Amino acid sequence: MGLITIMKREIRQLAFRRIYLFMIVIAPVLCFLFFADLFKGGVPVNLPVAVVDLDNTSVSRSLTRSLDAFGQTEIVMKAENFTEARKAMQEGKIYGIFLIPAHFQRDASSGKEPVLSFYTNDSYILPGSLIYKDMRLQAALANGAVQRALLQAKGMTEPQLSARLNPVAVDIHPLNNPWLSYAIYLSNILMPAFISMFAMFTLVFSIGEELKRGTACEWMRLSRHSIGVAIAGKGITQLLLFLITGTFCLVLLYRFLHFPLNSGFFPMFLAMFLLIAASQGFALLMVGIFPRNRLALSSCALWAVLSFSISGFTFPVRSMPEPMQWFANLFPMRHYFLLYVDQALNGIPMEYSWSSYVALGIFILLPVLVLSRLKAQFVRNVYLS
Amino acid sequence: MKKIIYNIWYVWKKELKAVAADSAVLTFFVALPLFYPVLYTYIYSNEGVFKVPVAVVDRDNSYESRAFIRAWNASSGVDVVARCADMEEARRLLWKKQIYGILEIPADFSHRPINGEQAHVSLYCDMGGLLNYKALLQAASNVAVGMGRIVQLEGLPYASPVRQEQTVAPVQMTEVKLFNPQSGYATFIIPAILILVIQQSLLLGVGTIAGTGRDRNRFRAMLPFNVHYEHPFPVVMGKALAYLPIYAFVAIWIFVVVPGMFNLTRIGEKWDFFLFILPFLLACIFFAMTLSFLCKERETPFLIFVFTSVPLMFISGISWPVTSIPDYWVAFSKVFPSTYGIEGYVKINSLGATFGEVSREFNSLWVLTAFYFLLAYLLYDREIRILKSRRLKVK
Repeated sequence: MGLITIMKREIRQLAFRRIYLFMIVIAPVLCFLFFADLFKGGVPVNLPVAVVDLDNTSVSRSLTRSLDAFGQTEIVMKAENFTEARKAMQEGKIYGIFLIPAHFQRDASSGKEPVLSFYTNDSYILPGSLIYKDMRLQAALANGAVQRALLQAKGMTEPQLSARLNPVAVDIHPLNNPWLSYAIYLSNILMPAFISMFAMFTLVFSIGEELKRGTACEWMRLSRHSIGVAIAGKGITQLLLFLITGTFCLVLLYRFLHFPLNSGFFPMFLAMFLLIAASQGFALLMVGIFPRNRLALSSCALWAVLSFSISGFTFPVRSMPEPMQWFANLFPMRHYFLLYVDQALNGIPMEYSWSSYVALGIFILLPVLVLSRLKAQFVRNVYLS
Repeated sequence: MKKIIYNIWYVWKKELKAVAADSAVLTFFVALPLFYPVLYTYIYSNEGVFKVPVAVVDRDNSYESRAFIRAWNASSGVDVVARCADMEEARRLLWKKQIYGILEIPADFSHRPINGEQAHVSLYCDMGGLLNYKALLQAASNVAVGMGRIVQLEGLPYASPVRQEQTVAPVQMTEVKLFNPQSGYATFIIPAILILVIQQSLLLGVGTIAGTGRDRNRFRAMLPFNVHYEHPFPVVMGKALAYLPIYAFVAIWIFVVVPGMFNLTRIGEKWDFFLFILPFLLACIFFAMTLSFLCKERETPFLIFVFTSVPLMFISGISWPVTSIPDYWVAFSKVFPSTYGIEGYVKINSLGATFGEVSREFNSLWVLTAFYFLLAYLLYDREIRILKSRRLKVK
């Protein structure tokens, strides 16, 4: 019965102050909508580039036109010379430069092997690499066009031609993300990471408020001095509320944005449930370890912010220095990311993911280690107030 | 005039004392900027993805297919760790995360070119990480182009070597990565993180000072009640002048020492940079003072500021190209000093822009400085009036 009392009390406390509404609903949902809107195209298109056409013939102009026709590239500038284009790049106006040398047409047809150059700016790594891909393809096409003319003159047919121009082809199968969508690979982790962050903050902050306002006494009394009941009543209430936000996140990702969900709903729902509970487990461990609430909040903030890097969804954990590879396991988001890849993205049998599910489960049990310390903290507060 | 200067000095002294006495504020002002940049740079210090483990399913098992695999395996991005009899076996390795890609070479690989047909290989990639995919794909296409060239040359047995070369590649190409030539991940992301660390640590620190004030002040106000705090101008100036020298040191650590430790790119002029960073620091300080009015309690800054770092990173134009950001988000991003800070810093530091080439960002930061100074001034003015009225009521 104590548990229900505590849960009711918790709901009242959460409803009483706006900051909780902000953390449980407003801030995470704003973040979801922000990223859903920001990435709505999936892949960036029409990235600005400059062309420096020193040849200015029908061939060079047709090269320019066909580069512009690529979806990811848009020619926004025709520079007179390279210096002008480079300046624009330094000012961040363009991400790439395509340089057609003087006498290009004449040299190409007379076998003098003119050189097409393209320059990219990888200080902006995403547009830089997308443009690099387009320009490389364009240069290969230019080559093909000249070769095609040479070979057709010898009376070759079309299939023979493509075998001749590109004798070895690589067929690419990007498994379960054939669109190479950045939206899929970013949103799936960014959004849950906010839930994990706010689940930690809410729990630590709400316990801190009990101590600060001297209500820990009442909290413990209503729990009949059982630390287990006190914590479970608070934690479960918040868990259920965050689960609503979490479910909204899953529905947004897989139902409205139609991102791949090859596992069915349950494995990801379970992962989300465990992620929230694991974050709370970690938060309670911090409250137990640090005598001051602010330090617990600091360490949760550190964990939450680092999660965005160390979960490895942008830069693979395997490529980090070895201590970091080990360290990554201490982050609930790391295990959630592995579950997402296995389940939602690849839809492989759940038994292959057992270790990540178990890892999240271990986080939930962490507070057991500090139960006595937690109780001492709350009781001390009772005497102080 | 003399009184104003004295009051500024008084507030400055009080503020520095408050900072030094509060371990929470010190954590944000000192420990966080010291520690975060080092940790982040360390995480990304390998810069790129190397030796991605993969499996091959070679159904052809010919001289040519083995040559393909050998060349692929020799690329820096690839490490062939398994040879599988069929795709089922390879897929299982993929599921166990022992590999991140599978190369399948069909049985007719070596025969097709002989018959004048195109040969194919299939590359399957796990899409859990795009960098792995990019490394595997780039290596495979390079090998395919290289082998293709050999096949093309073999198709022209009677031509002279020069003529062969011309027919195979009538147009040459060169690719130059003008900036960040090795496409390093740290080189790309760290400048943005460094700028954000400054802005966010100020938000947290100044927010904590304000929240603590409200927590402990008996009128729940952010200011003590005495003659030196009667006018907002000395208050705002005194506080700002207290934070500025602290952050001058922080800036040297973050922008000089840390990049030096990890050998990050720094092609800009040092003095251009320091000149540029001054309005950035000032804009951040007044921005933080303005937003500190949202902090009703000592803990509030965590709850309302920490999460903003990630969206700010994405609308700054560094992780996601600014041309693909909807206009309203671009407009929204302009109210944050970090947006101009990142733009300007990346241009100076990574692209070697001169001071004149970042004048737009430089001027915008001064505009933000003025704007947030004014806001902070008005908010403190209001705070002082509220404080007075509360005190009168008590009396």
